[in-house]
Amino acid sequence: MTTHIDMAGQSYDLDVLDVEERRLLNRFKRLANRCTTAEYRNRSLKEIAALYESRGLSRREILQTPLYKILQDVGNRRQVERGEARAPDYRDQLEELVRTRFPTRRAFCEATGLSEDMLSHVLSRRKHLSVDRLSEALERIGYAVTISRLTRTG
Amino acid sequence: MLIPIRRDHDLSDGELHSTDAWSWIDDPLFVQFEGGTMAPGLYTGFYRDPDTGSRVDDSSRKFIVALPRRRLRELRALLESACGVFQQKCIYLSIGGNVEFIAPTAR
Repeated sequence: MTTHIDMAGQSYDLDVLDVEERRLLNRFKRLANRCTTAEYRNRSLKEIAALYESRGLSRREILQTPLYKILQDVGNRRQVERGEARAPDYRDQLEELVRTRFPTRRAFCEATGLSEDMLSHVLSRRKHLSVDRLSEALERIGYAVTISRLTRTG
Repeated sequence: MLIPIRRDHDLSDGELHSTDAWSWIDDPLFVQFEGGTMAPGLYTGFYRDPDTGSRVDDSSRKFIVALPRRRLRELRALLESACGVFQQKCIYLSIGGNVEFIAPTAR
């Protein structure tokens, strides 16, 4: 089985891609090394839309396809290699969790038992949470720390 | 609209955004607005931070979105959320040459 593992450790089976999808992926893998972030982003979004819209997929459905996610990952890796962005870490995931699942930071802190001051330091990258403390906080809201394979570049 | 490539120094840590943040803006542009071009290169500039009084130099990515006037509210709402994701005090939005500074929704 041929796989693509993204920066977050998510694995995608490339064998399920059909000929057109593989052709597009291979072309953009080559392009990613040659063109700018903007060119890659604009062209990959345009071409993946054209491919899947001709098959009757909505934009929302296209977002869920493995090819969309892999193309995003290929572009993301180039951005990290070029020093234009950084690879996400647990603090980005924590930030997203606070933003999308809780009305306020205070609500998140009340639910997890973390202090607002500590959360602020962690999200501002001034401090780290210990694994024990993070696990305990996340468990209170039904989440867990996981270990995934590191495949990032840069 | 202009999105600085770094998180706000005063509000946050001044670090580069994670790739997740850039993906976050692509998804609604692709689905909700069915398009949006990232302009080539970076736009460098400076401004005075009203909170600290200090001059801030920054580099931004520029996105161009074509949409009917009736959908501007949706775009402003997206940018209000983007302030949180990109850790900005406000985001520069130019509509037909008229500039607005979109601030985050209170949380």
